[in-house]
Amino acid sequence: MKQEISALMDGELFEDESDSLLGRVKRDSATRDDWEVYHLIGDVLRQPEHIHCGLSAKVRARMQEEPTVLAPRGRTAKHKIHTMAWSAAASLAAVGVVAWMSMQITPETSPQLALQQTALRPASAGIKNKTNEYLMAHQEFSPSTGMNSGAYYIRTAAYQPGEK
Amino acid sequence: MTDRDIDQQLVERVQRGDKHAFDLLVSKYQRRLGRLISRFVRDSAEAEDVTQDAFIKAYRALPGFRGESAFYTWLYRIGINTAKNHLLASKRRAPTSTPFDADEAESFEDASLLHEVSTPENELMSKQVVDVVQKSLQQLPEDLRSALTLREIEGLSYEEIASVMNCPIGTVRSRIFRAREAVAEDLRPLLETSKNNRW
Repeated sequence: MKQEISALMDGELFEDESDSLLGRVKRDSATRDDWEVYHLIGDVLRQPEHIHCGLSAKVRARMQEEPTVLAPRGRTAKHKIHTMAWSAAASLAAVGVVAWMSMQITPETSPQLALQQTALRPASAGIKNKTNEYLMAHQEFSPSTGMNSGAYYIRTAAYQPGEK
Repeated sequence: MTDRDIDQQLVERVQRGDKHAFDLLVSKYQRRLGRLISRFVRDSAEAEDVTQDAFIKAYRALPGFRGESAFYTWLYRIGINTAKNHLLASKRRAPTSTPFDADEAESFEDASLLHEVSTPENELMSKQVVDVVQKSLQQLPEDLRSALTLREIEGLSYEEIASVMNCPIGTVRSRIFRAREAVAEDLRPLLETSKNNRW
């Protein structure tokens, strides 16, 4: 435990380890004393010229009268990072779903549909010639061309292959 | 994790309503903040009161701390402002006429000035603590003393110390702990005699 506190002070523990250890340090007075003494040793080694008289007990006594402070949720940097991470994950998931859906309807991944389309081709080719004759015969009733007014005077003619 | 990350973890605990986490920050920064405030407030009793006030102000302001700067930088700013306000309230001027920088203040090493502000009791206690720590450090085996010195004075990471001392990181971790604990063992009896004056 004491060795972990020493490593914690030096920033040499992983985040989850330090988080649980900090919880133990603040609950246990003996462990908190170790934390204080180790910090005192460090301060003495760095600046031995003047070691200011300890204040923590006095501050602790005054803290008893202070109301507990609470930061609004979502204010901490850690919370922001979590929020951003979840947003990014949701976006990626949405893109993934769309991509998966689009891949499901391509001919490469749906061979049955492609086979059905090729199977229909010979049947439609068989009626092509008859359709052309029908359209030529009823051209004057077509509403879709801009030449309707002149079409009445135009003589239409159709030829079969090999016919002169 | 860095030192700043640990402070941030403690700050977030306080922001979630954990008062005790603030104790650990006070334990860590009390001497550094006290030393800083002593530059403004020469009287040691007043400086101590101002330091306490600064910590209480910091606690009250913690919900607004977003971690954009390091906690200690933010704390030092509060300390400087509290000291200046104290001097204004007592219609005195701060001993420095130039703008004061928190980082610069941290590296302040004018020992003679600082000795002036100590009371005889404080000075005696400080001297005893320093003597015990230094004597204890000298009695440590060379490898433990080097590891602790490289960490506390030179500020090297465990990885850097391992490289300097040509040993595994686990050994560095163990040596630093054993050195600290040996010094702490020598120090505890002295601290026990002044229970009312926690360090």
